Amino acid sequence: MEILDRLTAQAEQVEVVEIHSEVTTVGYEANRLKSSRVEETRGWAVRVVKDGRLGFSASTDASAADKLVTNVLESAAYGDEVPLSFPGPQPAPPVNTFDRTISELPTGRLVEIGQEILAPILEVEPEARITLELERGVERLSLKNQAGAEIDFQRSPFSINYEISRIQGDDVVILFGVEGTTTWQDDYLAFAHRLADKLQLAKTSATLRSGRMPVLFAPEGALVLGVPLVAGLNGKNVYTQNSPMAGRVGEKLFDAKISVVDDATLDGRFGSAPYDDEGVAHYRNVMIAEGVLQGFVYDLKTAAQSGVESTGNGSRSLFSPPSPSPTNLVLESGDTSLADMIAGIDEGLYVDNALGLGQGNVVSGAFSNSLGLAFKIEGGEIVGRVKDVSIAGNIYELLQDVAAVSRESEWIYYNYRLPYILLPDMNVVTKE
Amino acid sequence: MRQKIRDAIKRSKADYTEIRLEDREATNVIFRGKDLETADAVVDSGGIVRCLVRSGGWGVVTFNDRDDLQSKVGQAYECARLAQSEEPIELAPIPVSEDHLPVHLEHDFRQVPLSEKKGLAEGYNQIILGHSDRIVDSMTRYHDAFSRVISANSEGTFIEEERPMITAYVVARARQGENVQQAFESRSAQTGIDFVQGLEELAVTVAQRAVDLLDAETVVGGRYPVILNPGLAGVFAHEAFGHLSESDFVYENPKAQEMMVLGRRFGQDILTIFDDGSVPGARGTHKYDDEGTPSDRTDLVKDGVLVGRLHSRETAAKMGEPPTGNARATGYRYPPIVRMTNTAIEQGQTSFEEMIGDIKLGVYACNMFGGQTALENFSFSSAYAYMIRDGQVAELVKDVILAGNLFTTLAHIDAVGDDFEWSIAAGSCGKGQGGLPVAMGAPHIRIQDVVIGGK
Repeated sequence: MEILDRLTAQAEQVEVVEIHSEVTTVGYEANRLKSSRVEETRGWAVRVVKDGRLGFSASTDASAADKLVTNVLESAAYGDEVPLSFPGPQPAPPVNTFDRTISELPTGRLVEIGQEILAPILEVEPEARITLELERGVERLSLKNQAGAEIDFQRSPFSINYEISRIQGDDVVILFGVEGTTTWQDDYLAFAHRLADKLQLAKTSATLRSGRMPVLFAPEGALVLGVPLVAGLNGKNVYTQNSPMAGRVGEKLFDAKISVVDDATLDGRFGSAPYDDEGVAHYRNVMIAEGVLQGFVYDLKTAAQSGVESTGNGSRSLFSPPSPSPTNLVLESGDTSLADMIAGIDEGLYVDNALGLGQGNVVSGAFSNSLGLAFKIEGGEIVGRVKDVSIAGNIYELLQDVAAVSRESEWIYYNYRLPYILLPDMNVVTKE
Repeated sequence: MRQKIRDAIKRSKADYTEIRLEDREATNVIFRGKDLETADAVVDSGGIVRCLVRSGGWGVVTFNDRDDLQSKVGQAYECARLAQSEEPIELAPIPVSEDHLPVHLEHDFRQVPLSEKKGLAEGYNQIILGHSDRIVDSMTRYHDAFSRVISANSEGTFIEEERPMITAYVVARARQGENVQQAFESRSAQTGIDFVQGLEELAVTVAQRAVDLLDAETVVGGRYPVILNPGLAGVFAHEAFGHLSESDFVYENPKAQEMMVLGRRFGQDILTIFDDGSVPGARGTHKYDDEGTPSDRTDLVKDGVLVGRLHSRETAAKMGEPPTGNARATGYRYPPIVRMTNTAIEQGQTSFEEMIGDIKLGVYACNMFGGQTALENFSFSSAYAYMIRDGQVAELVKDVILAGNLFTTLAHIDAVGDDFEWSIAAGSCGKGQGGLPVAMGAPHIRIQDVVIGGK
C-alpha cells in the first residue's frame, strides 16, 4: 500500500480504503427474462488529516495514484478542522457475511430462481406484470490507516428487487420491495408466497369510514414509523440539532414496548459486517430500551463533532466521505401474537404498505402517506382491501402509546427487521 | 485505445455491440450550516460494454479496469445469450457517425484552484447565514465535472466527446418556533466557472424568501385560475407530460398505447410541447445520444395534438417510428434508456399583463418544490407562490399544492406567454438510474380551474 506510506510522510493521519465488487444481475421485465448485467467496481478512497484539517478524495483509475495523493492533500489544505482520530487495530465480533453458495451461484440458477418466484404469484394473479432484478455479488473492503488498523473482509450480498402490478380497469394493485441477505437462505421463496397471499387477499374489497380507529402496521407498513425514527436517531441530525431527540438521552420518549437496536453482528444479514467503513468494530448498539432513549448512530466525524465515540456506523460509497447510517435496524419483537392482535380489533385499519415514504419533514417525526395496500379489520378479521386511504401523524406523539407489538417480525428493505405494531387510536382519512 | 476498442468490437459474436469509455474528474464543495462538509476532487474512470443477441436479449458489463476489453465483450455476449426473446429484438437504423467533439471553455474550471471554488460556496453560505437571525440553517454547494467519453459500436460509429458541467446550489432554512421554511435556487450549464460566479444576489433572494415564507399564510384550498412561472411550467412539461412520452413506458404496454395514441388532442391550439437535445449549452444537450443517434428537436404536442414521442433505437424499431436521439445513460455504470433532454412548452403570444389582467382571484405559482406523478395523476408543490387579486400579484402564500388529472389540466391551459426562457437551474431527472442532467423551458402559462390543496 504505497499510497499509505507516501501520505503518512506528509500528514498526521491517513486512511486508505480499497473497494472491489463484482455484482451479477438478472432482470425480468413483464414476466420475461430481458437482460443480464455484470458490474465490476474497483476504486480507492483516501482521507488525511493534515495540520488538523480533514481531506478526502477518491479514484477508480489505478494508474492515477499521483493525482489521488495531490487531490487529497489539496482537499485537506482547505478542509474543516475536525478532532477525529482514525481507529487503531480493534478486535471484531465474529459475524458471517460471506457464503460461497451465493458467490458461486451460477447465472442460470438466478434465472431459475426468478421463475420460481414468478410461479406462485402468477398462479394467484395471472394478469400480474412482474419486474424482477436478482443480484448476487462479492464485495471486498480493505482499509489501512496510519494508526495500524489493517482490515480486509468480504461479503456476499444477494438481493431480489420486485415490482408487481395488476391493472384491471381503474383497479390497480402495485407491490414493490426488496429482499436482501449475505448468506444463503433456504426459504428464499417465502416472500413470494407472502406476496401471493396478499394478492389473494386484495381480491376482496371493503369500505372504511374516515375517523379515529386502531391501526395495525405490518412490518413493511411499519416503515411509515421507522423512517422518521431512523432519521431522528442519526447522529448527523442530532449534531445539527434537527432531531427532536437531540440532548434527550436517558428520557423516556416512547411506550415501554418500543426497543430499537442497531446490530451489524447478526450472521447473514444484509447490513452485517465485522467493521464499519472506517475500521470501527461493530457491536450491538441499543438506542431505545423499553421506551428510554439510550443513544444514536454516529460515524467518526459526527462523533468527534459531538464529543462522543463512533458507534461503528460510518457508511460510504466510493465517491463520498463517510456519513452515519444504520447497519441492521431492529425494532424488537413483543409478546403478542399477530393472530391475537387482529382478533382483538373490532373495527380498524391494517397497513400493508404505504406510498411516499421519506417525503416531507421526516426528521421532525412527521409523516403523511397515502397507502398502497391496506385492509379493513372488522370483528377480529381482515375482511377486504380498502383503497384511497391516507394516514398522517407524528411518531413522537403516536409512539408514546402502543397497544401491542407482535412476536412475529420480518426482514424488509434489505436491513430493517420490524414486527407488527398496533397503535390504538389514529386518524384515518378515506374517501367514504 | 481507439484500435483496442475497434478490435474488441470486431471480435464480438453478438448481433450488435457497443462500447463506451468515460474519464471523469469532478470537484465538490458543500457547506451545511456553518460547517464545511467537504471540499474534494475525485477521478472516475470506467466503461461499459453492451451486446444484443436478437433472439436473446441485452447483456451489459460495466467495469473500471479497461485493460482487457475483449474479455468484457465476451462476458456481455454471454449475458445477452441468457434471455430468450419471443420475437427478434430490432434496432432502428441510424447513420454511422465518426466525430470528435472537443470543448473549449473560456473560463475553464479545471484551471481554477480548489481554494477559489471553496471560496465561492463559502461566500454564498455566509450571505445566507448572515442575512437574518431567523435563518437557522443553510446548504451551499459548488460542483463541476469534466468528462471525456468515447462511444463506439459495431456499425462503425466512433465518437469522442468532451462534456463539461458546472453547478451551484443555494439553500436557506428559516425558523420561528415550530414553523420551518425553506427556499432554494440552483444554476447549471455545460460551460465555464463564470456561470456560477456573482450569485450573491441570488443568495440574498433565497435567504429573504425563506424568511418571508415564515410570515406567509397557507393558501386557502379550492379551484383557481393559476399562472405558472416559466420555472414551474417547464417542470410540469417534463414531469407530468414528458415521462408519458418516453416510449419505453408505452412500447410494451397496450393500455399506455391507447392513452398516448398519436393524433389525440391534448390541449388548445396554442399548446406546443417539444424535446430538443440540440439547444446550445443547456444541461440536457448533446450532439449524439448514448447510442450514437444525432440529437434533434422532437415535437411531442403540436398545436394541441399529440404528434410524437421519444425513442431509443429499440423502441423506435418496435413501434415503427424514427429514433429521436433520446437513449441516454447516467454515466458508464448504466446502459442507455429512453430519457428526455431539454423539454419545453413553446413560446406563445400572450403578455404577462394580459394573462393576469382579468384574473379576479387566482394563484401565481413559482418554481417546483417537489411532486409525484402516477400515470395521468399528478401532485406538485410550488417552491413559493402569490395570490392574484384583481389582476395584480398580491401577497406571498405557502403550501401551494397543485393536483389533478394531466389531460384535463392540459386542456385547461388557455394562455401561453410571450416570454419563453430556458431554465438555468440544475435540472435533474431521476428515472431509473439516478440523476441525469436535463433542462426545461417554458413561458408563463395560465391554467383555468386548477385544484389547489391547502387548509
